[in-house]
Amino acid sequence: MTDDLHWLTAAAASRAYAARRLSPTELVRALLTRIDRLDPQLNAFIRVDAEGALAAAAVAETEIAAGRIRGPLHGVPVGIKDIIDVAGLPTTCHSKVMPNTPAPSDAVVVAKLRQAGAIVMGKLSTHEFAIGGPSFDLPWPPARNPWNRDHHPGGSSSGSGAGLGAGFFPLALGTDTGGSVRNPASACGIVGLKPTYGLVSRRGVFPLAFSLDHVGPMTRDVADNALLLDAIAGHDPHDPGSAAAPRQSFAARLDRGVRDLRIGFVRHFHERDMPAHPEVAAGLDTVARTLAGEGAILRDVTLPTLGEFAAVNRVILNAEAWSIHAPWLRERPGDYGLLGRRRLMPGAFLSAGDLLAAQRRRAEMIALVDAVLENVDVLLCASSMDPPSRIEDAAETARTYPPQARAPFNTTGHPALAMLAGLSADGLPLSVQFVGRHFAEATLFQVARAWERAAGIDRMHPNLG
Amino acid sequence: MDKSFVEALARQAGLERALAEFPDCVVNAAAQALGRSGEIKVPASPTAEAWPPMQVGRR
Repeated sequence: MTDDLHWLTAAAASRAYAARRLSPTELVRALLTRIDRLDPQLNAFIRVDAEGALAAAAVAETEIAAGRIRGPLHGVPVGIKDIIDVAGLPTTCHSKVMPNTPAPSDAVVVAKLRQAGAIVMGKLSTHEFAIGGPSFDLPWPPARNPWNRDHHPGGSSSGSGAGLGAGFFPLALGTDTGGSVRNPASACGIVGLKPTYGLVSRRGVFPLAFSLDHVGPMTRDVADNALLLDAIAGHDPHDPGSAAAPRQSFAARLDRGVRDLRIGFVRHFHERDMPAHPEVAAGLDTVARTLAGEGAILRDVTLPTLGEFAAVNRVILNAEAWSIHAPWLRERPGDYGLLGRRRLMPGAFLSAGDLLAAQRRRAEMIALVDAVLENVDVLLCASSMDPPSRIEDAAETARTYPPQARAPFNTTGHPALAMLAGLSADGLPLSVQFVGRHFAEATLFQVARAWERAAGIDRMHPNLG
Repeated sequence: MDKSFVEALARQAGLERALAEFPDCVVNAAAQALGRSGEIKVPASPTAEAWPPMQVGRR
């Protein structure tokens, strides 16, 4: 079994291990060879841990051969965004600001993945501190889009999206404070989930904004995303934002289809609030028509405007981020890149009244979205309003980066999944977003899987040679 | 935007060094922040609380 190992999903790799058609060491070696050949053009990695990955693969191989299979992620490679601690490796946050010292222990999510038998391949590029990018004035270059390396892969979980799209690993972890899992998922044509706030522990993850931060699974297909969420979800009594949600299998309803599910289409996001590129709008219509054809009941619904969601999200994000970065911004402003400095400093100019106004409105917004979700099972809406920008065109990136429909659900904590909706005429990914009730990720996966199966998009990969 | 007002706010926030080395960044950051809360519809009810800062679903 040697062909196209790099496009294997986690589920397929697990089946191949069980059938003795593939070993973890063979897969890790094949991926390391591909990374060595292609990553110099894509910069998905800040640090490849080849030695650690091969050692973990050897252990997994021995355990699997002995019949001690830990579960569906046993022996499966995973990439980790470099704001998440991995014991023994520095957490750089893609910034000169951070000390170059190894993290003393794994973040809770990484520990859970190791317990499940997953193999850590290394640390992945991000925007500086998950907010300042794409930037060319940092110690590492920005990741590039595997569909066209002249384009931005989205961010801030840029390396996670680029590496999945390039076939460097089947699983990755990202983080999402204003859309940073779903933006690279949208730009790289993969599947990215921002879970319900509190479902996944944030302990051991460098914070950007405490009440908006989420760790999320990123994969090339929906089934793998559910498997990865199964592995990392769960209450953490030492994370003050953690929720005590009941355990569930997120893959339980994957292949049930969407017949009679009620889907609310939030058209005003991309038609009025922030008008989308025509190809993005056409892609969303195609998704809606396809799901209706599969038996879902589509209706238009209305939420607060994207402008208002963005204002609330930005005030909270800026205030919380400033409280974290103020000491360094006061003492070492020159150690930040230009974009990081500009995006982390606004909180210095907000008042207590500004923050309280945003927090009070946030509570209302949560209730408003909850009310809409009482009458539909899932929301369908835009993610990005444009195809990915050219990465070196700072003006185009500045124009296309802010118009997006992801931040509302960091503000409200609802689970939201972004994935491929099709390709533009230029061959770049277009995206769609599904949003669910709090803790109803299984329903999101059900709808996302129905779209994926109907459109055959899980078989679409960039041609990297 | 009033330059002296922004500089005063920056100094109050301890950003003297940034103000000296990266004045454009300071002005840019202030422009992003000032007036942003005006875009928010503040709840009319005085009893609409801001606490807890984030709470979803069941706990």
